[in-house]
Amino acid sequence: MEPSSTQWKGRPVRLREDLRFSTGRGTYVDDMKFPDTLHVALLRSVHAHARIVNVDMNEALAMPGVVCGLTGEDARRMTKPLRSLIPIPVALDAYCLAFGKVTHVGEPVAAVLAESRYLAEDALEKIRVEYEPLPAAVDPEAAMEPDAPLLFESMGTNVMWRDRFDYGDTDAAFARAAHVFKKRFYIQRYSSTALETFGCTAVYDDRREQLTVWSNDQRPGQAMPIVAHSLGLTHAQIRFVTPDVGGGFGNKRKAHYLIIAALLSRMSGGRPVHYLEDRRENLMALIHACNGVMDLEAALDEEGRILGMKVRDIADEGANVLNPTVHSILKLGNLTNCYRIPVVRYEVNSVMTNKCPSGANRGIGKPFMCLAMERMMDYLARRLGMDPIELRRRNLVPPDAMPYTGPSGALIDSGDFSGTLDKLLPLIDYEDFLREQREARARGRYLGIGIAIGLEPSTSNQSAYILSSGRRNASGSAEAAMVRVEHDGSILVLLGDVGSGQGHETAAAQIVADELGVAMDGVRVSPFFDSAVTPWLYATGNYSNKFAGTDVGAILGAARKVRDKLLELGAYLLREPVENLELAEGGVRARDRNEHRKTLAELAFVAYRDLLSLPKGMEPGLEGRFYYSSDLANVPDENRRVRNQLFASNAAHGVIVEVDPDTGGVAILKYGVVHDCGTVLNPAIVEGLVQGATAHGIGAALYEEFDYDAEGNLKSTTFVDYLKPTAVEIPDVRMDHLVTPSPYTPLGMKGVGEGGAIPAPAAICNAVENALEPLGCTFDHLPLTPERVWGEIEKARASRS
Amino acid sequence: MKPPPFRYHTPRSLSEALDLLRESSGDARVLAGGQSLVPLLNLRLAYPEVLVDLNQVQGLSYIRDDGARLRIGAMTRQREAEFSVVLAERCPLLVEALAQVGHPAIRNRGTVGGSLAHADPVAELPCVMTALNAELVAAGPEGERVIAASDFFLGPYETALDAREILVEVRIPSAPGPRHASFVEFSRRHGDFALAEAAAVLEGDGSCTGARVVAAGPAWIPCRLEAVERLVGGAGVARTDGAAQRDLVEEAGRTAEAAVAALPTHADATPYQRRLAAVLVKRAVAQALERWSRN
Amino acid sequence: MESELTDDRTDRRTVAVTVNGRRCTAEVDVRKTLADFLREDAGFTGVHVGCEHGVCGACSVLMDGQVVRSCILFAVQADGHEVVTVEGLGDEDALNPLQQAFVEHHALQCGFCTPGMLLAAVDLLKHCPDPTETQVREALSGNLCMCTGYANIVRAVRAAAPNVRSG
Repeated sequence: MEPSSTQWKGRPVRLREDLRFSTGRGTYVDDMKFPDTLHVALLRSVHAHARIVNVDMNEALAMPGVVCGLTGEDARRMTKPLRSLIPIPVALDAYCLAFGKVTHVGEPVAAVLAESRYLAEDALEKIRVEYEPLPAAVDPEAAMEPDAPLLFESMGTNVMWRDRFDYGDTDAAFARAAHVFKKRFYIQRYSSTALETFGCTAVYDDRREQLTVWSNDQRPGQAMPIVAHSLGLTHAQIRFVTPDVGGGFGNKRKAHYLIIAALLSRMSGGRPVHYLEDRRENLMALIHACNGVMDLEAALDEEGRILGMKVRDIADEGANVLNPTVHSILKLGNLTNCYRIPVVRYEVNSVMTNKCPSGANRGIGKPFMCLAMERMMDYLARRLGMDPIELRRRNLVPPDAMPYTGPSGALIDSGDFSGTLDKLLPLIDYEDFLREQREARARGRYLGIGIAIGLEPSTSNQSAYILSSGRRNASGSAEAAMVRVEHDGSILVLLGDVGSGQGHETAAAQIVADELGVAMDGVRVSPFFDSAVTPWLYATGNYSNKFAGTDVGAILGAARKVRDKLLELGAYLLREPVENLELAEGGVRARDRNEHRKTLAELAFVAYRDLLSLPKGMEPGLEGRFYYSSDLANVPDENRRVRNQLFASNAAHGVIVEVDPDTGGVAILKYGVVHDCGTVLNPAIVEGLVQGATAHGIGAALYEEFDYDAEGNLKSTTFVDYLKPTAVEIPDVRMDHLVTPSPYTPLGMKGVGEGGAIPAPAAICNAVENALEPLGCTFDHLPLTPERVWGEIEKARASRS
Repeated sequence: MKPPPFRYHTPRSLSEALDLLRESSGDARVLAGGQSLVPLLNLRLAYPEVLVDLNQVQGLSYIRDDGARLRIGAMTRQREAEFSVVLAERCPLLVEALAQVGHPAIRNRGTVGGSLAHADPVAELPCVMTALNAELVAAGPEGERVIAASDFFLGPYETALDAREILVEVRIPSAPGPRHASFVEFSRRHGDFALAEAAAVLEGDGSCTGARVVAAGPAWIPCRLEAVERLVGGAGVARTDGAAQRDLVEEAGRTAEAAVAALPTHADATPYQRRLAAVLVKRAVAQALERWSRN
Repeated sequence: MESELTDDRTDRRTVAVTVNGRRCTAEVDVRKTLADFLREDAGFTGVHVGCEHGVCGACSVLMDGQVVRSCILFAVQADGHEVVTVEGLGDEDALNPLQQAFVEHHALQCGFCTPGMLLAAVDLLKHCPDPTETQVREALSGNLCMCTGYANIVRAVRAAAPNVRSG
């Protein structure tokens, strides 16, 4: 649908953020420094697993410029134990600094506060820590064994959560199957590594009993309760501000640092205290996506229709005690991907190991689920001698089945998966390629094509964690916003979810401008979240691509409150019935006599200053606050089915690669994505997010890995060892869109931001296997490094000769 | 990630710089472009007492052709060398390799001498200088000495320079006749240090009369592959004989495999890295021959 | 400016750097990086620090007209030199053609890599006024972007090239 000339939604308007950022005028957390600011440096564990016998700070505290320091013992004395977001089976005796023992390399052991970061780092070298090294649990399967070293002895196991979900009678489906195939898949540890690292500035004024925290934490709604609990403060005593965020992707959360900075500020008499991870700290100890092992077993009938599936998943959580089981839970959303698979058994193993805590990272668990499913589809096709695209088509949920509820209760609200696939094939010149590939193979060149389709569920429902924790810790999907017509008629919007590159300021302005009948320029959206003024709730933050699912509802709700009041006030002042009025061109006017109008400034004058001109009983002011909670969110039913995320975008990826058999190098020759995220509010934002997420998926497929040795030492702790793809490695992705609006979101939009990252690893892996089909190479592990690819080629050649 | 404290000197002349090195009794590091050293400082993997910054020393940045050889001042920025008309004309192999050193921002600051003195086992310049039979000039308290590239690199990050010496010049001998060469590397990403690399330099006019072939990666230093050199330089293949050249390339590949396998490789070198080096040698020979036959 | 105490091994120097045409003078530790000097002493917070080991390119600035990484240069090394940061390229009322193209092509998301990208692009277009896509990609390969997948950045640089030439 073409937008009307007065409508801002749907237009490719330029992003206002882009103007600020391209002139270097963003304000990030590292810019949040004030006169007298002190700097924190953290001493981090060099052991994967060790008892802390003693921490001697004396020499460090005597170093020049050092103000004070903090150990785990101090933290235990001064704070309450960290409260896990998703309750775990034991009471934690864990604090912002390691106490008693360290459970991963890079875990903060002690903190130093000094006049500069340079001096603080000098002092770190003078801290003497006596460790008693312990054997480490590194491999997740080994960590599940009864004799494995334990991260938390009181738990008696490293298995945080083991469970089995029987969604339907899987055994019966397998019993009547014509074919049963089983395959194992792995995924490595990787992360989005936002270019800006995580950090905070804290001012803890003991006299006024007030803590202010500036942080690029992506989920202030969850950070607040953790910080408040640990420090023994009320929420009302804490002000939490999020400035511009230099990329998040889920990674930017670590309450430990906020608590450390707060304590040190208090100890230094309320001076501002700044902590920013350096890149090594960021790579070692912020957040990794879980590595994992997955066994998939599929039962098919004669025609290749999947009758049922068994999934056994092991998610290696690392030393994640604050926010565990997320990777396992989120796989419920794409357990059957885009396919109509009636029954599924899902075995969950959420395992702790002596590695960096896992956490949210672009897609969370869904990339692995999709990787396994879409690699499985190619595998099944090979085993059945079927065309992999045809096999997919036979199993896709058809458009007329929408909205479709999968066996786990996951909702696919809308979509036309075969339509997405139809658009993809010409986009990557599929037919031409098959010919080209035959010719290339004849000449000894290894070209391959890989297809993967992926569901992209968005907007998390907090109640899904009842499944893993057994407790109702939170429920629902929500966000909050405020819209205010100011005294001069200008408009201010505050949003709980300030974004981290997704263009929320622009998108929110588009929505509010349409609601209030003003030009976008007249709407200012605060780039900051500020708990003192921005409405917020537990769900507040930037995650799970929830802008479409909940943020829009909050913005619209707040704008409509203001709109209704403007109309009511306008009706009174213009002596017109409300039905005759509209909001347009910056004011309220009669529909039939446009000159009969009041501007927003005139209305605001009455609402804020000329109060006696207000209709009797009308509250002064023109402000709307709205806490939006989606009706679609539910709690798990008696069969433990739940909509763990609410709205499903989808994407089909097609990639053509060439493998150099002599070097093992993989070159991407062509990459196409067809994406469907429903109604598009701003095409520039959508295309940018899809392109960027695809790049992230390419990184996971070919380059990125946090590589631990058998003792739990991390070998990739700098950007020299942890390889992010550059402009040379990432191709220009050809893109096309399909629009199947969601019937459930206020504007028909669906989430966007993960659709590139979820299917890309599978598509690339399928393409590389397809390229090397003449040699019969298969790949179990990512990333597909040249050495790994070459090794498989050598193996295949050796077994042939 | 901040550097540890150090004392810092900015000598204006070479003799002043040498004095500073002598006085600091071994705890000093020379700072040239700093593109390798400063990251090591920031990561606190190096703790020099003293940094002697050569960036203000006069007369160490130049590219001269004195007929018999090219002379490149050690502090010549890599980017300047990359864009040098003299080098483009007289030593395109070096330009080809320079363009693969890191990224423009690195090369704007990084120096020719700095890369050689740092002696990363897979850096481009040590490999190329070995192939070009370059001489490296070290200045020390007792004056200058000239070290052949093949004697200069002793191990990873280890050279024949002693702690009181400064690399001041690189000399590349001019070939008696036309020379055709190729440098190829394979890295995980554009601009990364290579997993392996190879350089091939062919001499001769109508037929190939000599070759220098160097591989780096599997060994701690760039190594000449004499068996490949004998094969390629001794075959007397004619410039116009495409078929013979193709056969030669295949044979060079096989010889390279054996030659790389015979190298004293380091403990981290994988079979893959050895095979890769051989593949790159073959490609470098092929490309050099192809360039030669095109001329 | 933050106060810095020093221990006995540390030198301090007064440095004067012309940043975006303005002379900025401060007394700094010799080990202070140029990036930290530009941000903390000169106040140009458009210089972003992403890795501090010379890989990500976020801190790129022009020194004497050439793009360099300010996290692996010391402030003392810039004494007497001219530095341009993103703030010196243009402002919202007078955008540099590259900045203009970045806005038009949505060549950024979170904005953290943007200053370094812009300055790397300035350096490229000086040497190569009409770059191919491959040339742009290679020239920018020392600057990491975690958000965009680079496509729009490459487009923006190529689109800006004619305007930079004529400007």
